[in-house]
Amino acid sequence: MQIQLDQLLPVPLKDKILQRKSGIWNENIVFNPGSFVKIKAPSGTGKTTLVHYLYNIRNDYTGKVLVNGKPWSDYGRNEIALLRQQQISVIFQDLRLFEQLTALENIELKRVMTPQPYCTPERVQEMAARLNVTHVLRQSSKTLSYGERQRIAIIRALVQPFDWLLMDEPFSHLDEENTRRAAALIAEECSARKAGFILTDLDDDQHFDYNVLYQL
Amino acid sequence: MHAFFALLKKIIRTGIGKGRFIMASLGLGIAMVLILIALQANSDFNQLLYSDKNQNETADFLVINKKVTNSMMGQPQKMVLSQEEIDNIRRQPFVQASGLITSSRFKVVAQAPGELHFATDMFFESVPDSFIDVKEEEWKWEPGSRIIPIILPNDFLNLYNFGFSLSQDLPQISQETVKALPLQIVISNGLISETYTGHIVGFSDRISSFLVPASFMDWANEKYGMAGTTSTASRIVIKTADPSNPALVKFLDDNGYTTNQDKLKFSKTRVIVQTIVSVIGFFGLVLLFFALLVFSMFIQLIIASCKKEIQLLVTLGTAPRQLQRYLLKQFIPLYIIIGVVSLLIVVVLQYQAHVVLAKHDMAVSPLPAIWTFAGAAVVISLVYIVNLVTVRKYILQDQ
Repeated sequence: MQIQLDQLLPVPLKDKILQRKSGIWNENIVFNPGSFVKIKAPSGTGKTTLVHYLYNIRNDYTGKVLVNGKPWSDYGRNEIALLRQQQISVIFQDLRLFEQLTALENIELKRVMTPQPYCTPERVQEMAARLNVTHVLRQSSKTLSYGERQRIAIIRALVQPFDWLLMDEPFSHLDEENTRRAAALIAEECSARKAGFILTDLDDDQHFDYNVLYQL
Repeated sequence: MHAFFALLKKIIRTGIGKGRFIMASLGLGIAMVLILIALQANSDFNQLLYSDKNQNETADFLVINKKVTNSMMGQPQKMVLSQEEIDNIRRQPFVQASGLITSSRFKVVAQAPGELHFATDMFFESVPDSFIDVKEEEWKWEPGSRIIPIILPNDFLNLYNFGFSLSQDLPQISQETVKALPLQIVISNGLISETYTGHIVGFSDRISSFLVPASFMDWANEKYGMAGTTSTASRIVIKTADPSNPALVKFLDDNGYTTNQDKLKFSKTRVIVQTIVSVIGFFGLVLLFFALLVFSMFIQLIIASCKKEIQLLVTLGTAPRQLQRYLLKQFIPLYIIIGVVSLLIVVVLQYQAHVVLAKHDMAVSPLPAIWTFAGAAVVISLVYIVNLVTVRKYILQDQ
């Protein structure tokens, strides 16, 4: 699946962006399938906004985001839902877990959303063990630390099939060891699916072997 | 899908406002029972009126004439039905056939034969032969024949047997005897007078008059008709499938016509029953409307109170279709249960009505009519559609 940006420019940040050089905004960019893409961006340059545009939960922009050559606006609600179940997964910066569910239920919700789950429950347990969150799975997500929640959100994003994984500062609250483990798991899962990812972060990092680097 | 719906249950709480929901369900149940009873009562009443089991004749005959009022007395022309009025009667949808009653324009005196010493002035009337249910070979007259077939009203013989003969110490006469008796009929117009033999061929409840064949009447009116008498009709006989038809009764009242009231007695009952049934049905519909309104508001409330959760679910990839199915699944089974229970109640009531009416020799079917089942299906479908539309509207609205 190909994602393409065509002169994309967020309306609220327009003036600010046009004053400086950006590698993404107002450019024509093609994200090729299977590539590991890193977008480095200082605060306030529209990092989260970009992820939201790519995932189609905001549309206050000029230009186009093309998915398989078709702009988001041409997709119907049920088509978008299908894409989110089968082809695009996401880890939000603000995680977006259901507080009324336990950690495991949050993961399960995504796993069983498709009639034929991609992952087995055992696989979920394995991933939880690798990220050191097995002990919190039964707890209400409300009671978890931010770092634990972040790891639950990562596992939730990995239980579904996808061609692209969108990540918005996915390791912001993880220590070095846990970041290393999470990155390794993500890289493995992407390779297994022959999928690519787009990761946005504040700084340079060596978590992945990136194919492409952009400066927002 | 089951596991997913189980998780949705924890996120989208359908428990809020449960009291209101239960009240609305109860309302729906009552509305349903009322509507079904109205449908069933209507069907039962029709069955009582028209079914072969409950009546012998499929059509009935009514003699219609204008009401005689004090202001009309002495003015025979006011009794006459004009051609326009006759056409108007014939145009009515409930009139299957009609025939004018022609009255004689000559004097008739009937005398009993032999020792009976009975003579009376009388008159003849005739109607088209199709309104007579006497065998054809007896009911005909040809010019030259001295025998006139006559049909007497049943009431006439009764009046004689139970009123006149007892008080005068005269013998009672059976129908068979009357048929066997040759009557001497003297027809005159003041100038000519001729004697014929009257032969009673039958008795009628249908038309309360002394009837002779139309062919004789035409011939006799021509031959003996007195000057100054009119040949216009003042009575008309109609054939109608349903003398209790309220439209017929209304037509008669509106035009100042009258007929044998006995035959119309069902009509009043029918109007009353129909009114009651309509009122029940109307209340059922009103109740149904409010139940639908509450259901619709209840769904709105659920969706509004879970707005954030629904948004996040959609963000994570839940299809609106899935949410819609989940929400409908929370309510629809209950509606179907309500429908089935209502139907069962009506089945029991109908069976009881069947048993009770059977004791009075009135037959209604022991099971509800097909229309009642259809009505239940329609109400359930309506509830389903209103739910579906509401869910669709509000699920999509939030996105």
